[in-house]
Amino acid sequence: MSTDESPPPGDDEERNRRLLDETEYDTELGLEMGRDAQRVSAGELSELEFYRRYHDRIVEEFDIDDREIDLPDPDEADPDDVGFLDRIGSALQGIDPDGEESRRSVMKKGAAAAGAMGIAGWGTAQNAAGQGDGEGGGAGGGDEGEGTRWGMTINLNNCDGCLACMAACDQEHNLSRGANWMYVFAFEDEGQGDETNFLPRTCQHCTDSPCTKVCPVGARHTREEDGLVLTDYDICIGCRYCEVSCPYGVNYFQWGEPDVPESEVDDDHQIDDRGRWVGSRPPEGVMGKCTFCVDRQDGQMGEDKIGTTACEEACTMDAIHFGDLNDPESPPNQHLDEYREGQDNDLSEFPNRKEHTTSTFKLMEERGTEPNVRFVGNEPSPHAEQVEGPVAYEDMGLTDDRKEVLDEGASATQGGESA
Amino acid sequence: MSVDVTGVDRDTLVRPIQTFSKRYLAALAVGLGLIGVWLVFYYQQLRHGLIVTNLSDWGSGGGVPWGLYIGAFIWWVGIAHGGIILSAAVRLLGMDTYQPVARLAELLTIAALTCAGLFILIHVGRPDRLVTSVVPAWPTRVQWSPLMWDVTVITAYFVLTATYLALTIRYDIHRLRDRLPSPLDPLYDALMVGYSEKEDEVVERMVWWIAFAIIIMAPLLLHGGVIPWLFALLPSMAGWAGGVQGPSFLSIALTSAVSGIIIIAAAFRYAYGWDELIPDAVFRGLSQWLGFFSLIFLWLQLQQVITGIFAAPTTLQHATEVKIATPLYWVAIGLVALAMLYAFATSLRPDLFDIRTMVALSVGVLAGTLAEKVLFVVEGLQHAHFALYDGVPGAYVPSPTELSALLGTIGIVVLFFLVVSKVIPVVELHAIEDDHEEVNP
Repeated sequence: MSTDESPPPGDDEERNRRLLDETEYDTELGLEMGRDAQRVSAGELSELEFYRRYHDRIVEEFDIDDREIDLPDPDEADPDDVGFLDRIGSALQGIDPDGEESRRSVMKKGAAAAGAMGIAGWGTAQNAAGQGDGEGGGAGGGDEGEGTRWGMTINLNNCDGCLACMAACDQEHNLSRGANWMYVFAFEDEGQGDETNFLPRTCQHCTDSPCTKVCPVGARHTREEDGLVLTDYDICIGCRYCEVSCPYGVNYFQWGEPDVPESEVDDDHQIDDRGRWVGSRPPEGVMGKCTFCVDRQDGQMGEDKIGTTACEEACTMDAIHFGDLNDPESPPNQHLDEYREGQDNDLSEFPNRKEHTTSTFKLMEERGTEPNVRFVGNEPSPHAEQVEGPVAYEDMGLTDDRKEVLDEGASATQGGESA
Repeated sequence: MSVDVTGVDRDTLVRPIQTFSKRYLAALAVGLGLIGVWLVFYYQQLRHGLIVTNLSDWGSGGGVPWGLYIGAFIWWVGIAHGGIILSAAVRLLGMDTYQPVARLAELLTIAALTCAGLFILIHVGRPDRLVTSVVPAWPTRVQWSPLMWDVTVITAYFVLTATYLALTIRYDIHRLRDRLPSPLDPLYDALMVGYSEKEDEVVERMVWWIAFAIIIMAPLLLHGGVIPWLFALLPSMAGWAGGVQGPSFLSIALTSAVSGIIIIAAAFRYAYGWDELIPDAVFRGLSQWLGFFSLIFLWLQLQQVITGIFAAPTTLQHATEVKIATPLYWVAIGLVALAMLYAFATSLRPDLFDIRTMVALSVGVLAGTLAEKVLFVVEGLQHAHFALYDGVPGAYVPSPTELSALLGTIGIVVLFFLVVSKVIPVVELHAIEDDHEEVNP
């Protein structure tokens, strides 16, 4: 993880001095800035103070100061925050007032100069600026990234195959029989004897999702604000290319009339905060799949449901952990951290080993899809075989093989059978 | 091996337009009947949804979301290749032997592309949105979705072929106008808007360039490009991914295309006694091309089978093993191999050649290529990299609704040729007369 990347060592001044001496720029300025930039990233020095301290000398040296720092945006300021303008004022004291114009346009020049100087702290200052309120998560902590990125950590070691998650999902989203947006595998694997393992499979909400790439009409898309992979039911033409391109088999087409009619589904569940029809079961002729409970994430089921999913809520085994993967404090990141802490590796004798012995994986990561669901436990090998679990799908009122339902519907179309 | 048919008179050329027989009516009834059967089934699909097909979800459902509809779509696009490639070869490479069948081939392109387009319409869950969703999305999706690439290239191909045809028939209509049925005058007037004999030379150059564009686009971008890329670019299915699909699809397209032309040309020769207009030499030449393309087809299948079973990754090995254990696959290979062997045998022993045998073998090739394409789509989906689903592979047999669409599109091609042959000469005047003769009523 990039959080482990350390800045170039500050005490390696001799090396930096040599590098800087080879340039036409001020060596002392570079070294001083490098030291202070590290203080910024350590929280000992504010960004604004760092900016102000070197502004005049940088302008003198390079004709322009274009360091990237997060200045508060006046448009987004809280009108009641009286200290805001003062802070801006002091930050901007002595700064060229038309900096706005120059900020992007002369970026190249500033970056080139910084590169030439080999300023050790430059990258650090930029990182510090971009990371908001301090990343600091451990190895299992949040990945770098801005905004929200909904995802899951599913702990297979905790799952007992009770199928409560499947039933909850089915009910919450009014799914037709056999459309198992959440699907729990029970499987046996090579070398594990008769031992049954479980794998709950949602949509992986991939960052680099093949389904969104191949969709000819942009109905399958990634929601920018939080990375959810959704289907716009108003646009989808039902070509099923998303289903064909998905390596995980998470898509369920609405082959006939949905089991639950339109009149019984609230708009709150269906229309997201952008006004697009992406939630609950799809209408006939359109593709559906797990939405990570988009209606909950948009607060349409109440504030307390934000950051939760129906499957997570139904899981009594603490296997499913949903939340913002960009937030180190979120349940999926917390759970992973806690789980790993209990399984430290012997770093005293083997310093190059990972910090923990926990086995984690993403499903078929080698397909290059960058899934946003992480699993704790053992990944099923190519030789793993699905077996009957302790609880049968039928016992939970669910249908495993949708083909049976569809065949029924096909042979009884006159009667208006649905599926 | 150029054959001179310039002795044939104009009356022979327009014979389909000037005659009317019970056999024609019978053929018309067959064509309309096939379309009727399909419409009855398609009405059910529109009413109840795709649930009336045997398609289903892959994954926990164990089915295939793409099946005969997509296989038939690929097949028709493949057949469509023959027309313009053959026609372009006549024009660009001077292969005058095939001039008598060039326009039949162009018409086959138009008809087959129409059927391919129809299969897209039938395949989707919301055909009513094909315009409202696709057109607005085009500018932003065309750089991403291989399906949008397909729609784009096929449309361009259709437009080029139709333009090519429209430009070249003006020459013929102008010179044969006195032999064409007067009730259709408004149509001819529309086709001939602004015509003067001075344009002939310009049109000749224009169609040369259109032919040039098409001969580059069709093999390299269509069946050697966007159609195989629908599958070859996906990370999900072991049997699909890989660069061999482009050449492989192209070989299948060319094989089916030549077969299609052989069948259509033989049908017209038989129906209108065109032994002089479409002589044996045309069929002998076409059968040699069919033999050559079949050889390439079989060779590329060999490549795939060998790389799939020798030391392939687990999932690819499994997919290949299933493929070669499927009897239908070997039926398809056998049908193509049979046509190849016959074509090569008759090259060595010309007295063995018989047009009826060649037509039967061509029908076999078309059945084989259709079977191969449907198997490719279906078995690809049944043997994904992610192999944990117990329901996969489930069984898939095309439903009556799906099969009826195949019959319906064949009916459309039959109907198309029956109608068009009554309206315009389906053999170019150039085939029987030297270029740019003066009008000679």
